[in-house]
Amino acid sequence: MSAVLDIKNLSVSLPRGGRNVAILDGLNLTVKAGEMLALVGESGSGKTIASLSVMGLLPKKAKREGEIWLGETNLLTLQEPAMRRVRGRDVGMVFQNPLAALNPSRTVASQIQEAWLVHKGGSTRAARARALELLGEVGIPDPAKRLDDYPHQFSGGMRQRVMIAMALACSPKLLIADEPTTGLDPLIARQIMALIARLRRELDMGVLFVTHDLSVVEEHADAVHVLYAGKSVEWGAAKAFFDHPRHPYSEALLGSVARVGQARLQNIPGNLPEPETRPPGCRFAPRCAYHQPQCDAAYPPALRDGGTAAACLFPLPLTDRITYAETLEKPTGRNFASQLEVRDLQVRYAGNSGWFGGKTKLPPSLSEIAFSLGRGECLGVVGESGSGKSTLGRAVLQMIPYEGHVLLNGEDFSPLRGAAKRTQRRRIQVVFQDPRESMNPRIKIGDIIAEPLRLKRGISRAEERRQVETLLGRVGLNKEMAALLPGGVSGGQAQRIAIARALAAEPELIVLDEPTSSLDVSTQAMLLNLLKDLALEQALSYILISHDFAVVSYMADRIAVLNAGRIVEMNDTAKLIRAPQHSYTAALIGAAPQLHRL
Amino acid sequence: MAFSTRVPAMSEQIATAGGMAAAPFARWLGWISQRSTLVTGLVISGLILFIGFAAPFLYHVDPYAIHPAHALEAPSWAFPFGTDELGRDELALLLSGGFATLVVALPAAILAFVVGVTYGLASGLAPAWVDRLMMRLLDAVLALPSLIILIFFASLVTLNNTSLILLLGFISWPGLARLVRNETLAQRGRDFVLAAEQMGAGRVYVARVHLLRVMAPVLVVNGTFMVGDSVFALSALSFLGLGVQPPQVSWGSLLESALDIIALDPWWLILPPGLLVFGSLLAASLTGQGLLQRWGNNR
Repeated sequence: MSAVLDIKNLSVSLPRGGRNVAILDGLNLTVKAGEMLALVGESGSGKTIASLSVMGLLPKKAKREGEIWLGETNLLTLQEPAMRRVRGRDVGMVFQNPLAALNPSRTVASQIQEAWLVHKGGSTRAARARALELLGEVGIPDPAKRLDDYPHQFSGGMRQRVMIAMALACSPKLLIADEPTTGLDPLIARQIMALIARLRRELDMGVLFVTHDLSVVEEHADAVHVLYAGKSVEWGAAKAFFDHPRHPYSEALLGSVARVGQARLQNIPGNLPEPETRPPGCRFAPRCAYHQPQCDAAYPPALRDGGTAAACLFPLPLTDRITYAETLEKPTGRNFASQLEVRDLQVRYAGNSGWFGGKTKLPPSLSEIAFSLGRGECLGVVGESGSGKSTLGRAVLQMIPYEGHVLLNGEDFSPLRGAAKRTQRRRIQVVFQDPRESMNPRIKIGDIIAEPLRLKRGISRAEERRQVETLLGRVGLNKEMAALLPGGVSGGQAQRIAIARALAAEPELIVLDEPTSSLDVSTQAMLLNLLKDLALEQALSYILISHDFAVVSYMADRIAVLNAGRIVEMNDTAKLIRAPQHSYTAALIGAAPQLHRL
Repeated sequence: MAFSTRVPAMSEQIATAGGMAAAPFARWLGWISQRSTLVTGLVISGLILFIGFAAPFLYHVDPYAIHPAHALEAPSWAFPFGTDELGRDELALLLSGGFATLVVALPAAILAFVVGVTYGLASGLAPAWVDRLMMRLLDAVLALPSLIILIFFASLVTLNNTSLILLLGFISWPGLARLVRNETLAQRGRDFVLAAEQMGAGRVYVARVHLLRVMAPVLVVNGTFMVGDSVFALSALSFLGLGVQPPQVSWGSLLESALDIIALDPWWLILPPGLLVFGSLLAASLTGQGLLQRWGNNR
């Protein structure tokens, strides 16, 4: 097999605060024809910088050093016009958000043809024939009929297929896929992964797959390359990597992916160092469980005594596989005192109301929802986007109008008005998906956490301060953070602050609406563990809404599966996993990372 | 992508602050050049305010003293800005007119600002049918040509400073009200507002603590524009004889009386008041633009 892409000693630096800061440091990697290499790293690791370097799409002020060989050409020596000919012809690209990458005002045929016409010329008719062929190849049903459709007429997964078709128009030798499945529902994400994996074999094309999530690539990648803080920490064949990760960071990363049936996720303490404050020795050393004094001296050389190469002085032994404690034996059927009861809930959004008050009736977003939740219990709600799971959370929170009954501690919400309703509502708090969006960017963190205290009134400033500090401590943050604005903290920290604020209201139930899906894997693990501990400490109940079955199964005592606005199945977590009754549940479980696939 | 979503770390901010001390003058020049619009706007604003409020205390000449022997003289040492057809000192008139203009235009702008923001917030937070009613009312006000309405009412009431402030104030709030209402609708569904409501926050709290704060840039920028518009509207009214009433002069009325005798080519009577009205408008516009540049992207 010949190398399609050969990156030699690539370093990228960006000017920041008047200095040149190294973002990526001496990257070496090779992608062979027909091979899929997964470039894995958390945000800030430099993986996106690496992929943008290959495409020559870095900002002008970025400095690149080293060599990037695409076949016989060193891309770093090319000027922009020559680079433009390479892009799209020799290198295809697929990005995360297909809706943003497609032009909404042009048909998909014209957009797929474009790449062909720009690079190969020829007649529009030939290009259209090629577009038709490509749409079929990426698995769009009835492609001839869909050629003249617009992007908004396709679903998210289909749009990503169209993007892939565009990228493949000129049969590139290399496909760069930057988080192509992030933001897609798990079932759809699996299909896209399988499609890319099939196409690379059929077309003998190299794939550079950039992702933060190891579980996505587990099944299909041939090789893995893990980046941490701008440096390669471990690289080599995927099989060897997943069997015996050698670098402590790889192990921790694998351990923090939520898997169906897992007892405890592994925490990686601390944060990724900023480019300016990276330690001189091993960059992972400050967070490493196996840290030794020698680690801080210099960046460790690559050790190659196993299936992979790892930049570590004390790599993990080859003898044992990583093991995850299992909890399918989790005590089920615990007796919870009833706390929340939902009876015959239905939500129907009103359609566009016209000038004369005529409202169009839409089909209900939720119907016949009934369940009860015990004190200290965690109910998981899973389903695809559009299944109504967020609507369910909002109805319980009394944020939207609904029909039916929601009872908290036996008291029905529907007859409540004014202050009585407000007091009752306070007992249910919420944590949203995007922590930044859930905080006013112009209010200091201390004041954000104090907000529920102030709204309750009757608390002195000193007492308020003390409580804020206690709350910060309980979510594992230091009290100096109170003086910062939300823009100055990381996503994981911001989500902790959102949890602290919810706790300040002294809730009995917290609705967690996709609380970890905007976070990196290791951050996600930390947060889930925190939520678990908090629930035990004070008998908090949760409704955990997520599209990620593994996350829900890790947290929940009971799981409700939502499809098209109805609960299709609800059961204790262990029972549901062992014996799913509904085919849809089985498919969701199948798409989630499993303990025993390794 | 990685560049845009990155949040500057504390370490980075500290590093920048440290660098600032190293070469203060160069940094200061850079700061100015990056904000030339804002700085120019603020300098002109300061000048206009100085003319209106401070200068009368520095230039002690009675604007209403008549010197028939020196009627309609071009600028000289005795009369730095010349005299008008009655022989009054034009500089003293400009300064007095400036005070008369600003003392009405500024409160009028503040009144319009307060009414506009309150109306907009109330409409945006009210139930849908109230909102719709309030917006139709706003449409009705907006549909009427403001200058004509102004002239109509000005001819009905006795004109003094208070009535002028009320008139000008109540004619210029609808634009801001609509802006604030739309912004309110856009912001009230955001997660942090929902979270506050879940904690028991009412509408007034949400408006005061959350909405006003996230809208602060929009409000300040538009408030600045309103001051300029207000000066302009008052000058236009005075020009038509419906603004500040004689014997008190204003920039608009000075311009008007100069135009009566334009055949005599009294350039020193036309240019200064015209430039001052233009300068007020320019100052407000530049300051607003400058603030927009600074804040526009950081919402």
